[in-house]
Amino acid sequence: MTGVVLLNTLRRNWRQAIYWGISIGILGYYVIVLVPNMDTLKQYEDLVAKMPPLMLKAFGLSDAAQMATPAGFLGFGFFSYMLLVLATYAVLAGLSITSSEEDRGILDVLLSLPIPRWRIIIERLIAYTLILIVMLVITFAGLWIGAATTPGLNLDLGRLLAATVNMLPATLLVLAFTALAGAVARTRTLAIGVATVFVVASYFIDFLGAAASGTFFDSLRVISFYSWYNGGQIMFTGLEAGRVLLLLAVALICALGSLWFFQRRDIV
Amino acid sequence: MENVIHTDKLTKIYSGTTRALDGLSLDVQRGEIFGYLGPNGAGKTTTIRLLLDLIRPTEGRAALLGLDAQRDSVAIKQRVGYLPGELSLWDNQTAQQIIHFVGQARGGYDKTYVQTLADRLQFDLTKKMRAYSTGNKRKLGLIIALMNKPDLLILDEPSSGLDPLMQQTFYQLMQETRAAGHTVFLSSHILSEVQAICDRVGILRGGKLQAVERVDALTRTDFRHVILRFRQTVPESLVATVPGVSGVTSENNGKTLKLQLLGDFDPLLRSLDGFYVEDMEVQEPSLEEVFLKYYGAQSAVNNHQKAEATQ
Repeated sequence: MTGVVLLNTLRRNWRQAIYWGISIGILGYYVIVLVPNMDTLKQYEDLVAKMPPLMLKAFGLSDAAQMATPAGFLGFGFFSYMLLVLATYAVLAGLSITSSEEDRGILDVLLSLPIPRWRIIIERLIAYTLILIVMLVITFAGLWIGAATTPGLNLDLGRLLAATVNMLPATLLVLAFTALAGAVARTRTLAIGVATVFVVASYFIDFLGAAASGTFFDSLRVISFYSWYNGGQIMFTGLEAGRVLLLLAVALICALGSLWFFQRRDIV
Repeated sequence: MENVIHTDKLTKIYSGTTRALDGLSLDVQRGEIFGYLGPNGAGKTTTIRLLLDLIRPTEGRAALLGLDAQRDSVAIKQRVGYLPGELSLWDNQTAQQIIHFVGQARGGYDKTYVQTLADRLQFDLTKKMRAYSTGNKRKLGLIIALMNKPDLLILDEPSSGLDPLMQQTFYQLMQETRAAGHTVFLSSHILSEVQAICDRVGILRGGKLQAVERVDALTRTDFRHVILRFRQTVPESLVATVPGVSGVTSENNGKTLKLQLLGDFDPLLRSLDGFYVEDMEVQEPSLEEVFLKYYGAQSAVNNHQKAEATQ
Protein backbone atom coordinates (compact mmCIF):
# COMPACT_ATOMS: atom_id res chain seq x y z
CA MET A 1 0.00 0.00 0.00
CA THR A 2 1.42 3.37 -1.03
CA GLY A 3 2.19 5.62 1.93
CA VAL A 4 2.55 2.84 4.47
CA VAL A 5 6.26 3.59 5.07
CA LEU A 6 5.50 7.32 5.30
CA LEU A 7 2.76 6.76 7.89
CA ASN A 8 4.93 4.32 9.83
CA THR A 9 7.80 6.83 9.90
CA LEU A 10 5.50 9.61 11.07
CA ARG A 11 3.96 7.36 13.73
CA ARG A 12 7.37 6.43 15.10
CA ASN A 13 8.78 9.96 15.06
CA TRP A 14 6.02 12.49 15.75
CA ARG A 15 6.79 12.71 19.46
CA GLN A 16 10.46 13.39 18.74
CA ALA A 17 9.46 16.12 16.29
CA ILE A 18 7.25 17.77 18.89
CA TYR A 19 10.00 17.67 21.55
CA TRP A 20 12.61 19.11 19.18
CA GLY A 21 10.16 21.74 17.92
CA ILE A 22 9.14 22.79 21.43
CA SER A 23 12.78 22.99 22.56
CA ILE A 24 13.79 25.17 19.62
CA GLY A 25 10.57 27.19 19.96
CA ILE A 26 11.25 27.90 23.65
CA LEU A 27 14.79 28.95 22.79
CA GLY A 28 13.38 31.26 20.10
CA TYR A 29 10.90 32.68 22.60
CA TYR A 30 13.66 33.51 25.07
CA VAL A 31 15.85 35.08 22.40
CA ILE A 32 12.91 37.29 21.36
CA VAL A 33 12.08 38.43 24.88
CA LEU A 34 15.72 39.35 25.36
CA VAL A 35 15.65 41.70 22.36
CA PRO A 36 14.03 44.79 23.98
CA ASN A 37 16.30 44.52 26.93
CA MET A 38 18.54 47.37 25.89
CA ASP A 39 21.17 46.54 28.45
CA THR A 40 21.63 43.17 26.80
CA LEU A 41 21.77 44.66 23.34
CA LYS A 42 24.22 47.27 24.53
CA GLN A 43 26.43 44.63 26.06
CA TYR A 44 26.37 42.69 22.78
CA GLU A 45 27.13 45.83 20.83
CA ASP A 46 30.09 46.57 23.08
CA LEU A 47 31.29 43.01 22.80
CA VAL A 48 30.97 42.98 19.03
CA ALA A 49 32.60 46.41 18.75
CA LYS A 50 35.71 45.00 20.39
CA MET A 51 35.88 42.17 17.88
CA PRO A 52 38.29 42.50 14.97
CA PRO A 53 36.50 43.19 11.65
CA LEU A 54 37.50 39.75 10.45
CA MET A 55 35.58 38.15 13.31
CA LEU A 56 32.56 40.35 12.61
CA LYS A 57 32.53 39.14 9.04
CA ALA A 58 32.94 35.60 10.18
CA PHE A 59 29.79 35.93 12.26
CA GLY A 60 27.95 37.37 9.29
CA LEU A 61 27.71 40.92 10.62
CA SER A 62 28.72 43.87 8.51
CA ASP A 63 29.16 46.21 11.47
CA ALA A 64 28.68 46.40 15.21
CA ALA A 65 25.67 48.72 14.94
CA GLN A 66 23.78 45.98 13.13
CA MET A 67 24.11 43.89 16.25
CA ALA A 68 22.24 46.46 18.30
CA THR A 69 19.08 46.03 16.21
CA PRO A 70 16.49 43.33 17.02
CA ALA A 71 16.92 41.87 13.53
CA GLY A 72 20.71 41.70 13.82
CA PHE A 73 20.48 40.23 17.29
CA LEU A 74 18.10 37.49 16.10
CA GLY A 75 20.19 36.71 13.04
CA PHE A 76 23.37 36.43 15.08
CA GLY A 77 21.95 34.92 18.26
CA PHE A 78 19.38 32.55 16.84
CA PHE A 79 19.18 31.90 13.11
CA SER A 80 22.95 31.54 12.60
CA TYR A 81 23.25 28.75 15.11
CA MET A 82 19.86 27.12 14.95
CA LEU A 83 20.75 25.59 11.62
CA LEU A 84 23.44 23.55 13.41
CA VAL A 85 20.76 22.22 15.78
CA LEU A 86 18.43 21.38 12.91
CA ALA A 87 21.33 19.88 10.95
CA THR A 88 22.00 17.57 13.89
CA TYR A 89 18.40 16.39 13.72
CA ALA A 90 18.66 16.08 9.93
CA VAL A 91 21.77 13.88 10.23
CA LEU A 92 19.97 11.60 12.71
CA ALA A 93 16.90 11.49 10.48
CA GLY A 94 18.98 10.93 7.36
CA LEU A 95 20.68 7.96 9.02
CA SER A 96 17.24 6.54 9.86
CA ILE A 97 16.27 6.45 6.20
CA THR A 98 18.37 3.38 5.49
CA SER A 99 21.65 3.27 7.38
CA SER A 100 20.54 2.78 11.00
CA GLU A 101 17.97 0.14 10.06
CA GLU A 102 20.39 -1.67 7.81
CA ASP A 103 22.86 -1.75 10.69
CA ARG A 104 20.25 -3.23 13.03
CA GLY A 105 18.82 -5.71 10.52
CA ILE A 106 15.40 -4.03 10.37
CA LEU A 107 15.78 -3.47 6.62
CA ASP A 108 15.83 -7.24 6.10
CA VAL A 109 12.25 -7.45 7.34
CA LEU A 110 11.20 -4.27 5.57
CA LEU A 111 12.61 -5.39 2.23
CA SER A 112 11.00 -8.81 2.56
CA LEU A 113 7.67 -6.99 2.21
CA PRO A 114 6.24 -5.98 -1.16
CA ILE A 115 7.72 -2.50 -0.98
CA PRO A 116 10.16 -1.34 -3.67
CA ARG A 117 13.44 0.00 -2.37
CA TRP A 118 12.93 3.44 -3.95
CA ARG A 119 9.65 3.84 -2.09
CA ILE A 120 11.36 3.40 1.26
CA ILE A 121 13.69 6.32 0.53
CA ILE A 122 11.06 8.58 -1.03
CA GLU A 123 8.40 8.01 1.61
CA ARG A 124 10.87 8.49 4.43
CA LEU A 125 12.29 11.66 2.89
CA ILE A 126 8.75 13.01 2.61
CA ALA A 127 7.98 11.94 6.19
CA TYR A 128 11.06 13.68 7.59
CA THR A 129 10.36 16.77 5.48
CA LEU A 130 6.89 16.93 7.05
CA ILE A 131 8.42 16.43 10.49
CA LEU A 132 10.90 19.26 9.86
CA ILE A 133 8.06 21.51 8.72
CA VAL A 134 6.18 20.73 11.95
CA MET A 135 9.33 21.53 13.93
CA LEU A 136 9.69 24.86 12.12
CA VAL A 137 6.01 25.69 12.64
CA ILE A 138 6.47 25.11 16.39
CA THR A 139 9.69 27.15 16.27
CA PHE A 140 7.90 30.03 14.56
CA ALA A 141 5.08 29.75 17.08
CA GLY A 142 7.63 30.24 19.86
CA LEU A 143 9.12 33.26 18.09
CA TRP A 144 5.69 34.69 17.32
CA ILE A 145 4.44 34.27 20.89
CA GLY A 146 7.62 35.96 22.09
CA ALA A 147 7.12 38.83 19.65
CA ALA A 148 3.40 39.17 20.45
CA THR A 149 3.88 39.20 24.20
CA THR A 150 6.88 41.52 24.30
CA PRO A 151 5.83 45.16 24.44
CA GLY A 152 7.71 47.75 22.45
CA LEU A 153 9.32 45.28 20.10
CA ASN A 154 9.55 46.51 16.55
CA LEU A 155 10.00 43.32 14.61
CA ASP A 156 8.88 42.51 11.08
CA LEU A 157 6.86 39.29 11.50
CA GLY A 158 7.08 38.62 7.75
CA ARG A 159 10.86 38.65 7.95
CA LEU A 160 10.71 36.47 11.06
CA LEU A 161 8.61 33.94 9.13
CA ALA A 162 10.95 34.17 6.15
CA ALA A 163 13.97 33.57 8.37
CA THR A 164 12.27 30.52 9.89
CA VAL A 165 11.31 29.15 6.47
CA ASN A 166 14.86 29.83 5.28
CA MET A 167 16.13 27.10 7.62
CA LEU A 168 14.17 24.42 5.74
CA PRO A 169 16.12 24.17 2.44
CA ALA A 170 19.52 23.87 4.14
CA THR A 171 18.15 21.33 6.62
CA LEU A 172 16.63 19.32 3.78
CA LEU A 173 20.00 19.39 2.06
CA VAL A 174 21.66 17.89 5.15
CA LEU A 175 18.87 15.30 5.37
CA ALA A 176 19.25 14.27 1.73
CA PHE A 177 23.04 14.32 1.89
CA THR A 178 23.00 12.01 4.93
CA ALA A 179 20.54 9.72 3.15
CA LEU A 180 22.97 9.63 0.23
CA ALA A 181 25.89 8.88 2.56
CA GLY A 182 23.84 6.04 4.11
CA ALA A 183 22.93 4.66 0.70
CA VAL A 184 26.52 4.71 -0.55
CA ALA A 185 28.38 3.74 2.61
CA ARG A 186 27.42 0.29 3.82
CA THR A 187 28.12 0.95 7.46
CA ARG A 188 26.34 3.37 9.74
CA THR A 189 29.61 4.52 11.30
CA LEU A 190 31.00 5.62 7.95
CA ALA A 191 27.72 7.35 7.06
CA ILE A 192 27.78 9.24 10.39
CA GLY A 193 31.38 10.27 9.78
CA VAL A 194 30.75 11.53 6.26
CA ALA A 195 27.58 13.45 7.26
CA THR A 196 29.25 15.00 10.30
CA VAL A 197 32.28 16.10 8.29
CA PHE A 198 29.90 17.59 5.71
CA VAL A 199 28.07 19.71 8.30
CA VAL A 200 31.08 20.73 10.39
CA ALA A 201 33.34 21.40 7.39
CA SER A 202 30.59 23.49 5.75
CA TYR A 203 30.29 25.57 8.90
CA PHE A 204 34.02 26.18 9.25
CA ILE A 205 34.60 26.82 5.55
CA ASP A 206 31.92 29.48 5.69
CA PHE A 207 33.20 30.91 8.97
CA LEU A 208 36.84 31.09 7.88
CA GLY A 209 36.00 32.14 4.33
CA ALA A 210 33.80 35.00 5.58
CA ALA A 211 36.56 36.16 7.90
CA ALA A 212 39.28 36.09 5.27
CA SER A 213 37.80 37.44 2.08
CA GLY A 214 39.91 37.01 -1.04
CA THR A 215 41.69 33.95 0.37
CA PHE A 216 41.51 30.27 -0.52
CA PHE A 217 38.89 29.72 2.19
CA ASP A 218 36.76 32.47 0.74
CA SER A 219 36.82 30.78 -2.66
CA LEU A 220 35.79 27.52 -0.98
CA ARG A 221 32.64 29.08 0.47
CA VAL A 222 30.84 28.24 -2.74
CA ILE A 223 30.80 24.57 -1.68
CA SER A 224 29.54 25.30 1.84
CA PHE A 225 25.78 25.01 2.26
CA TYR A 226 26.17 27.25 5.28
CA SER A 227 27.23 30.20 3.14
CA TRP A 228 24.19 29.72 0.91
CA TYR A 229 21.99 29.59 3.99
CA ASN A 230 23.08 33.08 5.06
CA GLY A 231 21.43 32.94 8.50
CA GLY A 232 23.23 35.99 9.93
CA GLN A 233 21.78 38.36 7.33
CA ILE A 234 18.42 36.75 6.70
CA MET A 235 16.49 39.20 8.90
CA PHE A 236 17.81 42.04 6.72
CA THR A 237 17.65 40.45 3.30
CA GLY A 238 14.58 38.22 3.57
CA LEU A 239 14.26 35.05 1.54
CA GLU A 240 16.47 35.00 -1.55
CA ALA A 241 14.96 32.75 -4.20
CA GLY A 242 18.32 31.96 -5.81
CA ARG A 243 19.83 30.65 -2.59
CA VAL A 244 16.70 28.70 -1.67
CA LEU A 245 16.39 27.11 -5.11
CA LEU A 246 20.06 26.21 -5.19
CA LEU A 247 19.89 24.46 -1.80
CA LEU A 248 16.70 22.63 -2.80
CA ALA A 249 18.22 21.59 -6.13
CA VAL A 250 21.31 20.12 -4.45
CA ALA A 251 19.04 18.39 -1.90
CA LEU A 252 17.08 16.89 -4.79
CA ILE A 253 20.27 15.69 -6.49
CA CYS A 254 21.39 14.05 -3.23
CA ALA A 255 17.96 12.41 -2.84
CA LEU A 256 18.07 11.06 -6.39
CA GLY A 257 21.63 9.86 -5.80
CA SER A 258 20.56 7.97 -2.68
CA LEU A 259 17.74 6.33 -4.68
CA TRP A 260 20.16 5.31 -7.42
CA PHE A 261 22.73 3.80 -5.08
CA PHE A 262 20.25 2.10 -2.75
CA GLN A 263 18.37 0.54 -5.64
CA ARG A 264 21.51 -1.15 -6.93
CA ARG A 265 23.49 -2.32 -3.99
CA ASP A 266 23.48 -5.30 -1.64
CA ILE A 267 21.87 -4.98 1.77
CA VAL A 268 24.54 -6.04 4.22
CA MET B 1 5.54 -30.87 -10.31
CA GLU B 2 5.77 -27.09 -10.20
CA ASN B 3 9.00 -25.59 -8.90
CA VAL B 4 8.39 -22.88 -6.35
CA ILE B 5 12.09 -22.14 -6.05
CA HIS B 6 14.45 -22.60 -8.97
CA THR B 7 18.05 -21.52 -8.96
CA ASP B 8 20.47 -21.91 -11.83
CA LYS B 9 24.21 -21.75 -11.08
CA LEU B 10 23.51 -19.09 -8.48
CA THR B 11 26.81 -17.64 -7.28
CA LYS B 12 27.75 -14.90 -4.87
CA ILE B 13 31.32 -13.72 -4.55
CA TYR B 14 32.23 -11.11 -1.94
CA SER B 15 35.22 -8.79 -2.25
CA GLY B 16 36.21 -10.40 -5.52
CA THR B 17 37.51 -13.58 -3.90
CA THR B 18 35.21 -15.01 -1.21
CA ARG B 19 32.77 -17.46 -2.77
CA ALA B 20 29.87 -17.39 -0.31
CA LEU B 21 27.74 -19.41 -2.72
CA ASP B 22 29.13 -21.36 -5.62
CA GLY B 23 26.98 -22.41 -8.58
CA LEU B 24 23.85 -23.40 -6.67
CA SER B 25 21.33 -25.19 -8.86
CA LEU B 26 18.32 -26.22 -6.84
CA ASP B 27 14.62 -26.90 -7.30
CA VAL B 28 12.08 -26.82 -4.49
CA GLN B 29 8.66 -28.12 -5.36
CA ARG B 30 5.21 -26.87 -4.45
CA GLY B 31 3.81 -28.31 -1.24
CA GLU B 32 7.03 -29.59 0.27
CA ILE B 33 9.00 -28.64 3.33
CA PHE B 34 12.58 -28.32 2.18
CA GLY B 35 15.36 -28.30 4.75
CA TYR B 36 18.53 -26.44 3.93
CA LEU B 37 21.29 -27.80 6.10
CA GLY B 38 24.77 -26.61 6.77
CA PRO B 39 26.96 -25.18 9.49
CA ASN B 40 27.56 -21.48 10.00
CA GLY B 41 29.27 -19.95 6.98
CA ALA B 42 28.10 -22.68 4.59
CA GLY B 43 26.07 -20.17 2.55
CA LYS B 44 22.53 -20.80 3.83
CA THR B 45 21.75 -17.20 4.71
CA THR B 46 23.47 -15.96 1.54
CA THR B 47 21.11 -18.17 -0.47
CA ILE B 48 18.07 -16.80 1.35
CA ARG B 49 19.22 -13.20 0.87
CA LEU B 50 19.71 -13.85 -2.84
CA LEU B 51 16.23 -15.37 -3.12
CA LEU B 52 14.73 -12.30 -1.43
CA ASP B 53 16.76 -9.90 -3.58
CA LEU B 54 18.45 -8.40 -0.53
CA ILE B 55 21.75 -9.09 -2.29
CA ARG B 56 22.42 -9.57 -5.99
CA PRO B 57 24.08 -12.62 -7.52
CA THR B 58 27.53 -12.41 -9.07
CA GLU B 59 26.47 -15.11 -11.54
CA GLY B 60 23.41 -17.23 -12.19
CA ARG B 61 19.78 -16.53 -11.52
CA ALA B 62 16.94 -17.43 -9.22
CA ALA B 63 13.20 -17.68 -9.74
CA LEU B 64 10.52 -17.89 -7.07
CA LEU B 65 6.92 -18.86 -7.81
CA GLY B 66 7.80 -18.73 -11.50
CA LEU B 67 8.97 -15.11 -11.29
CA ASP B 68 12.47 -13.67 -11.58
CA ALA B 69 13.91 -13.00 -8.11
CA GLN B 70 15.33 -9.63 -9.10
CA ARG B 71 13.03 -8.25 -11.76
CA ASP B 72 9.78 -9.36 -10.09
CA SER B 73 10.97 -8.95 -6.53
CA VAL B 74 7.98 -6.92 -5.33
CA ALA B 75 5.41 -9.28 -6.86
CA ILE B 76 7.20 -12.24 -5.30
CA LYS B 77 7.22 -10.67 -1.86
CA GLN B 78 3.46 -10.29 -2.03
CA ARG B 79 3.34 -14.09 -1.84
CA VAL B 80 6.31 -14.85 0.41
CA GLY B 81 6.60 -14.91 4.20
CA TYR B 82 10.08 -14.50 5.62
CA LEU B 83 11.61 -15.03 9.03
CA PRO B 84 15.19 -13.76 9.35
CA GLY B 85 17.77 -15.51 11.50
CA GLU B 86 17.67 -12.67 13.98
CA LEU B 87 14.52 -10.57 14.08
CA SER B 88 15.11 -6.90 14.69
CA LEU B 89 12.35 -4.28 14.55
CA TRP B 90 11.50 -0.89 15.98
CA ASP B 91 11.90 -1.00 19.76
CA ASN B 92 9.30 1.69 20.44
CA GLN B 93 6.51 -0.11 18.58
CA THR B 94 4.17 -2.75 19.97
CA ALA B 95 3.79 -6.11 18.25
CA GLN B 96 0.28 -5.03 17.25
CA GLN B 97 1.59 -1.87 15.57
CA ILE B 98 4.29 -3.82 13.75
CA ILE B 99 1.81 -6.46 12.59
CA HIS B 100 -0.55 -3.74 11.41
CA PHE B 101 2.28 -2.14 9.43
CA VAL B 102 3.28 -5.46 7.84
CA GLY B 103 -0.36 -6.22 7.06
CA GLN B 104 -0.88 -2.82 5.46
CA ALA B 105 2.31 -3.23 3.42
CA ARG B 106 0.91 -6.49 2.09
CA GLY B 107 -2.42 -4.87 1.27
CA GLY B 108 -4.42 -6.07 4.27
CA TYR B 109 -4.60 -8.95 6.74
CA ASP B 110 -6.94 -11.13 8.76
CA LYS B 111 -6.87 -9.92 12.38
CA THR B 112 -8.65 -13.04 13.60
CA TYR B 113 -6.00 -15.27 12.08
CA VAL B 114 -3.24 -13.18 13.65
CA GLN B 115 -4.91 -13.60 17.05
CA THR B 116 -5.23 -17.35 16.43
CA LEU B 117 -1.51 -17.57 15.68
CA ALA B 118 -0.71 -15.48 18.76
CA ASP B 119 -2.87 -17.76 20.92
CA ARG B 120 -1.25 -20.90 19.57
CA LEU B 121 2.22 -19.50 20.13
CA GLN B 122 1.16 -18.07 23.53
CA PHE B 123 2.29 -14.62 22.46
CA ASP B 124 1.18 -11.31 23.96
CA LEU B 125 0.68 -8.79 21.14
CA THR B 126 0.39 -5.73 23.34
CA LYS B 127 3.99 -5.24 24.48
CA LYS B 128 6.63 -3.06 22.89
CA MET B 129 9.46 -4.74 20.99
CA ARG B 130 12.05 -3.81 23.59
CA ALA B 131 10.14 -5.81 26.21
CA TYR B 132 10.23 -9.12 24.35
CA SER B 133 12.69 -11.92 25.04
CA THR B 134 14.57 -13.61 22.20
CA GLY B 135 12.01 -16.43 22.15
CA ASN B 136 9.10 -14.01 21.98
CA LYS B 137 10.76 -12.05 19.17
CA ARG B 138 11.00 -15.36 17.33
CA LYS B 139 7.27 -15.91 17.86
CA LEU B 140 6.51 -12.46 16.50
CA GLY B 141 8.70 -13.22 13.48
CA LEU B 142 6.73 -16.40 12.87
CA ILE B 143 3.42 -14.54 13.11
CA ILE B 144 4.68 -11.93 10.63
CA ALA B 145 5.84 -14.68 8.26
CA LEU B 146 2.63 -16.71 8.52
CA MET B 147 -0.08 -14.04 8.91
CA ASN B 148 -0.86 -13.67 5.20
CA LYS B 149 -0.83 -17.44 4.53
CA PRO B 150 1.92 -17.05 1.92
CA ASP B 151 2.49 -19.47 -0.94
CA LEU B 152 6.13 -19.72 0.08
CA LEU B 153 7.63 -19.49 3.54
CA ILE B 154 11.35 -18.79 3.82
CA LEU B 155 12.59 -19.35 7.33
CA ASP B 156 16.16 -18.85 8.55
CA GLU B 157 16.86 -21.01 11.62
CA PRO B 158 13.18 -20.83 12.60
CA SER B 159 12.98 -22.69 15.87
CA SER B 160 16.13 -21.41 17.55
CA GLY B 161 15.11 -19.64 20.74
CA LEU B 162 11.77 -21.47 20.99
CA ASP B 163 11.18 -23.69 23.99
CA PRO B 164 10.44 -27.41 23.30
CA LEU B 165 6.68 -26.95 23.64
CA MET B 166 6.67 -24.09 21.16
CA GLN B 167 8.89 -26.09 18.84
CA GLN B 168 6.13 -28.69 18.67
CA THR B 169 3.60 -25.95 17.88
CA PHE B 170 5.97 -24.69 15.21
CA TYR B 171 6.23 -28.18 13.69
CA GLN B 172 2.42 -28.40 13.62
CA LEU B 173 2.16 -25.03 11.91
CA MET B 174 4.63 -26.15 9.26
CA GLN B 175 2.72 -29.36 8.66
CA GLU B 176 -0.52 -27.40 8.34
CA THR B 177 1.19 -25.07 5.88
CA ARG B 178 2.25 -28.04 3.78
CA ALA B 179 -1.23 -29.58 4.03
CA ALA B 180 -2.66 -26.33 2.65
CA GLY B 181 -0.45 -26.77 -0.42
CA HIS B 182 2.05 -24.09 0.50
CA THR B 183 5.82 -24.52 0.40
CA VAL B 184 8.36 -24.09 3.17
CA PHE B 185 12.07 -23.49 2.67
CA LEU B 186 13.86 -23.55 6.00
CA SER B 187 17.52 -23.33 6.81
CA SER B 188 18.70 -25.08 9.90
CA HIS B 189 21.60 -26.68 11.62
CA ILE B 190 19.24 -28.52 13.99
CA LEU B 191 19.15 -31.94 12.42
CA SER B 192 16.35 -33.33 14.57
CA GLU B 193 14.15 -30.46 13.40
CA VAL B 194 14.83 -31.20 9.76
CA GLN B 195 14.30 -34.90 10.39
CA ALA B 196 10.99 -34.19 12.14
CA ILE B 197 9.31 -32.02 9.53
CA CYS B 198 11.15 -31.87 6.22
CA ASP B 199 10.36 -33.88 3.12
CA ARG B 200 13.67 -33.22 1.41
CA VAL B 201 16.94 -31.80 2.50
CA GLY B 202 19.77 -30.01 0.72
CA ILE B 203 23.19 -30.18 2.32
CA LEU B 204 25.45 -27.22 1.80
CA ARG B 205 29.17 -27.08 2.44
CA GLY B 206 31.54 -24.21 1.76
CA GLY B 207 28.99 -22.54 -0.51
CA LYS B 208 28.47 -25.69 -2.59
CA LEU B 209 25.46 -27.95 -2.60
CA GLN B 210 26.68 -31.41 -1.65
CA ALA B 211 23.47 -33.39 -1.98
CA VAL B 212 19.71 -33.17 -2.21
CA GLU B 213 17.84 -36.17 -0.84
CA ARG B 214 14.53 -37.16 0.62
CA VAL B 215 14.98 -37.20 4.39
CA ASP B 216 13.74 -40.79 4.67
CA ALA B 217 15.94 -41.96 1.78
CA LEU B 218 18.92 -40.21 3.26
CA THR B 219 18.62 -42.13 6.52
CA ARG B 220 17.52 -45.40 4.89
CA THR B 221 20.08 -45.81 2.18
CA ASP B 222 23.10 -45.47 4.37
CA PHE B 223 24.51 -47.84 6.95
CA ARG B 224 22.69 -49.19 9.99
CA HIS B 225 23.74 -49.85 13.54
CA VAL B 226 23.10 -53.45 14.55
CA ILE B 227 23.13 -54.91 18.07
CA LEU B 228 23.08 -58.74 18.35
CA ARG B 229 22.43 -60.45 21.71
CA PHE B 230 23.40 -64.14 21.96
CA ARG B 231 22.73 -66.85 24.50
CA GLN B 232 26.41 -67.86 24.46
CA THR B 233 29.73 -66.08 24.04
CA VAL B 234 30.51 -65.24 20.42
CA PRO B 235 33.92 -64.16 19.07
CA GLU B 236 34.10 -60.83 17.21
CA SER B 237 35.84 -62.62 14.37
CA LEU B 238 32.57 -64.40 13.61
CA VAL B 239 31.15 -61.32 11.90
CA ALA B 240 34.20 -59.13 11.40
CA THR B 241 34.96 -60.51 7.96
CA VAL B 242 31.38 -60.43 6.69
CA PRO B 243 31.01 -58.12 3.66
CA GLY B 244 29.56 -54.71 4.67
CA VAL B 245 30.27 -55.16 8.38
CA SER B 246 32.56 -52.76 10.23
CA GLY B 247 33.26 -51.42 13.69
CA VAL B 248 32.55 -54.66 15.55
CA THR B 249 32.71 -54.40 19.33
CA SER B 250 31.95 -56.97 21.98
CA GLU B 251 30.15 -56.42 25.29
CA ASN B 252 28.55 -58.43 28.09
CA ASN B 253 31.33 -61.06 28.17
CA GLY B 254 31.10 -61.55 24.45
CA LYS B 255 27.35 -62.19 24.48
CA THR B 256 26.55 -58.87 22.78
CA LEU B 257 28.05 -57.71 19.48
CA LYS B 258 27.66 -54.19 18.17
CA LEU B 259 28.46 -53.43 14.56
CA GLN B 260 27.71 -51.23 11.59
CA LEU B 261 26.28 -52.79 8.49
CA LEU B 262 26.44 -51.34 5.01
CA GLY B 263 24.23 -53.11 2.50
CA ASP B 264 22.09 -56.25 2.78
CA PHE B 265 21.46 -58.34 5.90
CA ASP B 266 21.77 -61.72 4.27
CA PRO B 267 25.56 -62.25 4.54
CA LEU B 268 25.44 -61.25 8.20
CA LEU B 269 22.52 -63.57 9.03
CA ARG B 270 24.16 -66.52 7.26
CA SER B 271 27.35 -66.00 9.28
CA LEU B 272 25.36 -66.45 12.51
CA ASP B 273 24.36 -70.01 11.64
CA GLY B 274 24.82 -72.27 14.69
CA PHE B 275 24.54 -69.47 17.26
CA TYR B 276 21.36 -68.76 19.22
CA VAL B 277 20.31 -65.13 18.68
CA GLU B 278 18.14 -63.90 21.55
CA ASP B 279 17.60 -60.42 20.16
CA MET B 280 18.57 -58.26 17.20
CA GLU B 281 18.25 -54.48 17.30
CA VAL B 282 18.60 -52.33 14.17
CA GLN B 283 19.00 -48.56 14.37
CA GLU B 284 18.95 -46.26 11.37
CA PRO B 285 21.71 -43.66 11.41
CA SER B 286 20.72 -40.26 12.65
CA LEU B 287 20.75 -37.40 10.20
CA GLU B 288 23.67 -36.04 12.15
CA GLU B 289 25.73 -39.04 11.21
CA VAL B 290 24.69 -38.70 7.60
CA PHE B 291 25.47 -35.02 7.81
CA LEU B 292 28.92 -35.67 9.18
CA LYS B 293 29.52 -38.21 6.48
CA TYR B 294 28.71 -35.63 3.81
CA TYR B 295 31.03 -33.20 5.46
CA GLY B 296 33.78 -35.73 5.86
CA ALA B 297 34.68 -34.17 9.18
CA GLN B 298 34.55 -37.57 10.78
CA SER B 299 33.16 -40.88 9.72
CA ALA B 300 29.66 -41.63 10.81
CA VAL B 301 30.86 -44.85 12.37
CA ASN B 302 33.45 -43.16 14.54
CA ASN B 303 30.92 -40.58 15.58
CA HIS B 304 28.49 -43.24 16.68
CA GLN B 305 31.20 -45.06 18.60
CA LYS B 306 32.07 -41.89 20.45
CA ALA B 307 28.43 -41.31 21.32
CA GLU B 308 28.13 -44.87 22.59
CA ALA B 309 31.27 -44.51 24.67
CA THR B 310 29.91 -41.46 26.46
CA GLN B 311 26.66 -43.19 27.44
